Amino acid sequence: MTHRRLVVPVLVASIFAIACGQDPPPPPEPTGPTAEELEQMRQDSIRAAREAEEARRRAEEEARRRAEAEAAAARERAIAAARRTLTETVYFDYDESEIRPDAEQMLRQKVEILRGNPSLRLSVQGHADERGSTEYNLALGTRRAEAVRQFFTSFGLEASRFSITSYGEERPAAQGSDEQAWARNRRAEFSITGGTIDPGM
Amino acid sequence: MTPPAQDPLKAKTRRSGCSPRPAPGTVAVLALALAGVSATLPSPGGAQQDSLPGVRLGLVYETTYFPPLAVKPFTGRFGGQAVASQVEAIVGRDLGYSDRFEMMTGLPQELGGEGVDYTLWDRLGAVWLVTGRVEGSGDGFVLVLEVHDVVYGTIKDQGRFRLPDPLDPGFRMAVHRASDAVVQWIFGEPGMASSRIAFSMTRDGGATREIYIIDSDGENLGRLTDHGDLALSPSFSPDGNRILYNAMDSATLQWRVYEQNLATGRDELVQPLREGNYYTPSYLPDGERVAFQIHTGERTGLFSYNLRQNCCLTNLTEGRSEDLSPTFSSDGEWMAFNSNRLGTAVPQVFVMPVSGGGAELISPYEYGRAGYYTAPDWAPFGDRVAFHGRVGRSGRFHILVGQRGDRSSLLQLTAEGNNEDPSWAPDGRHIVFVGERSWGYGLFVVDTATGAIRTLLRGVDVGEPDWSPTLGG
Repeated sequence: MTHRRLVVPVLVASIFAIACGQDPPPPPEPTGPTAEELEQMRQDSIRAAREAEEARRRAEEEARRRAEAEAAAARERAIAAARRTLTETVYFDYDESEIRPDAEQMLRQKVEILRGNPSLRLSVQGHADERGSTEYNLALGTRRAEAVRQFFTSFGLEASRFSITSYGEERPAAQGSDEQAWARNRRAEFSITGGTIDPGM
Repeated sequence: MTPPAQDPLKAKTRRSGCSPRPAPGTVAVLALALAGVSATLPSPGGAQQDSLPGVRLGLVYETTYFPPLAVKPFTGRFGGQAVASQVEAIVGRDLGYSDRFEMMTGLPQELGGEGVDYTLWDRLGAVWLVTGRVEGSGDGFVLVLEVHDVVYGTIKDQGRFRLPDPLDPGFRMAVHRASDAVVQWIFGEPGMASSRIAFSMTRDGGATREIYIIDSDGENLGRLTDHGDLALSPSFSPDGNRILYNAMDSATLQWRVYEQNLATGRDELVQPLREGNYYTPSYLPDGERVAFQIHTGERTGLFSYNLRQNCCLTNLTEGRSEDLSPTFSSDGEWMAFNSNRLGTAVPQVFVMPVSGGGAELISPYEYGRAGYYTAPDWAPFGDRVAFHGRVGRSGRFHILVGQRGDRSSLLQLTAEGNNEDPSWAPDGRHIVFVGERSWGYGLFVVDTATGAIRTLLRGVDVGEPDWSPTLGG
């Protein structure tokens, strides 16, 4: 390779000399790169190749990371959404523990998540509005929580996954002594007490 | 003193004697007494009527004679002088709170001193006269108390009562026992001065509730528990030395029953006997067994359990209905409880033998009408059961008293605001309850004989009061 590169300028010079009929000028001192320069060039080309390779790899990595982050975010969003669905409050009619149609719809969504995540455990807390006796309302809250648990078990979910309790009238969600406040206080609240949510289910 | 000098005095005393006792709640007494004339609540506008259609229900009180009673200024000797007026004030107020006397007030100071001039007291209109002498004795005092029958001019009864130093926490209760002796001597019936009331109250205005206790005269408010979450439904043991109560275990969010020894302040968890939440604990009259509701997934019901022997969980009620708030007759034969066996949203109060058998309704029930009667409490003697219920078109809650075996005798004790959670005093006559008024919640005491209502504790968020039995020395 080095030899061939030297031959080309010599050949050009020879042709030029013949065409002019003059004495060919003395062949120029060879001005090719020095050994050091050659080595430098060699190193440069290696580095360039390596850098190109690295850039490609970085881009690939970046893309992969971005995709992963997006997936994780999506996963987080899905978990958060599932969490929200699971802990969404359901409401009851006055002195009733029957599941209302609007509550049923909400509870069915919870059932779907619970089915796909068998490790999940829920605490169900029943509440009552302020009317009536403290003790009766404590029992009424329990009855509401129990109605929710029975709704879950009627879909084949294990009863042991749900612990129920009651706050009676002690933890109103809304203050006030009107129907609007009472309606918001007759409720069952949920908290996740164990297990993980797999959003890919 | 000469008769002319007596006349203005007499006129003054007589005048005050014409009005009902000058105790708090006098106005309420009048109003209720007037209401009693028409056998039901007056309803000038109709909208205010709080009564049950179809059920004879109203503020019906017998016209009772209140014998005028005077308390002569107590004397003291051997160092008892400094304590005498304090003791006299406590006894005087206790006797007023008993709602049995026309308390004579504004008596002239000249009537003090030793000796009793029955003629003079008779002229003043007194029927009973209480005299007291406080004597220093060792590290405490002795109260020598006498009740005089002014009409017959004799001593009806007398007794000596040991009192600790006034700074001792047991001082007031020792004086209350003397007050109860006066009621016992005159009427042959127990008093209720030497008793306390346990109840739940929000702590420092926050969202947590603890169990508190207060003397029957509204003194010595103190906190019994420190759960930091929700503690409710205290219930005294028959000897008054312990309470059961209901508290949420913050870790598991399950409702548990605790027993507290009031002397030591120590709480013991009644170990869960099975899965579930435990509600509305109370003692059976033997003081060994306790009863509560256990709420589990598959089964809910009232159970009794022997706390002393840690055994013998027994079903008290059968069936799938929700039964709650057991309370027992003093002979242990009967129990009253709350149940929704007639349907949800119509809780009713039932009575049945503790040994089992048919449950009979004691609260008013009309087919097709949603009633709401809860929180029964059996009187310390006899067959009366207090509870509260939603009454009339206003939908307000009032304190009612029913009688086992006689559903026609139903007494309504309140007519104002909302009223819940009645509990009988050891005299079988007074009832403490939670009242909701325009200014807030409070504890009130109503006299079932006269309808007189006094405020025990005002403007605090209280619940589920339980009146102790008479507390011994």
